[in-house]
Amino acid sequence: MEMRGAGEPVTLTALFIGFLKVSLCGIGGGGGIVWARRIAVENRRWISDREFADIVSLCQFMPGPNIVGIAVCVGAKMRGAVGTVAALSGFLIIPWVVGFSLGVLYLKFAHLTVLRNILGGIAAAAAGLLIATGIKLLTPYRRRVAALVFATLAFGLIIFGRLPLLIVLFGLVPLSIAVAGIEQARAR
Amino acid sequence: MTGPSAPVALTAHLALVSSISFGGFPTVLPDVRNFVVSTHGWMTDQEFANLFAIAQSIPGPNMILMMSLIGWKVWGFPGALASAFATFGPPCAIYFAAYRLWDRFRDAPWQRIVRLGLVPVTMGIVIASGAVMARAADTGWRSAAVTIAAAATTLATRVNPMWMLLAGAALAGVGLL
Repeated sequence: MEMRGAGEPVTLTALFIGFLKVSLCGIGGGGGIVWARRIAVENRRWISDREFADIVSLCQFMPGPNIVGIAVCVGAKMRGAVGTVAALSGFLIIPWVVGFSLGVLYLKFAHLTVLRNILGGIAAAAAGLLIATGIKLLTPYRRRVAALVFATLAFGLIIFGRLPLLIVLFGLVPLSIAVAGIEQARAR
Repeated sequence: MTGPSAPVALTAHLALVSSISFGGFPTVLPDVRNFVVSTHGWMTDQEFANLFAIAQSIPGPNMILMMSLIGWKVWGFPGALASAFATFGPPCAIYFAAYRLWDRFRDAPWQRIVRLGLVPVTMGIVIASGAVMARAADTGWRSAAVTIAAAATTLATRVNPMWMLLAGAALAGVGLL
């Protein structure tokens, strides 16, 4: 995918607005990855799918809300520390005020059936979006057999093995990196 | 209802668990539940579950919102702000430092190997998260069809995902799901 030239820096306002959109559009757990990819990779073309997958993976390994990490890292990549502050502010300030007010309201109306049905319908669609985003981020690696094997293993251990995320992460990643290391050594 | 020691204890605890919440904040939710419900009795199990459902369904940074709502229950608006900062502050500093380090070694051969090993596993986990959400959300074949249609459309086209969320909301709103 075509990238921006180095002489064309992304403005802080663009980072603020971009991550404001990511934040407001993301609904439900993990929805943020869908929108962060849509905006940072597909629409604005700030970074490539490969770089985005790097950032998501890096964030998986760090403590904290991973989606916030995506804002921190993309901001840092585009404009350094000020970029991080701009992306983070866009991501957090307005959505926090809106979400917090909605949450306080919801606490009063949570018993309404129609509201709960609608939320259920959104959740069903959101699940599909998340699955598709994971598959898209995996496509740069589709010709590597070991990549598909380890992705399938991670998926299976969580879904069918019902293992905790941390066990899967810290169990599979060293193995996966070791296999990649052997492959690279042989290729040389 | 509670003195100033309660919000201080909550904020300190959130700052601690957010710094060790490897794999995302949901991994430490059981610990937060113990602290808030069992240890301090600030709310009931039911209230905690409701806050989770609410946070999942509003747009925005949902785990930060959930912790803010807990802070709000414990100590009103100041409690909400303190909880929000405790939840995203420490991890953000760590993310920034880690990204700087990653970026500095971007052309190192070892980084290519780490990437080749790391990315497939984490993408398998992302797809699994989607499947876990689908299992919770898909109560029948109709909602499962919505999930599959949303995934297929995203893969095949560049249609704005908002249309799929709206379609899901509309179908459920008129009672079809």
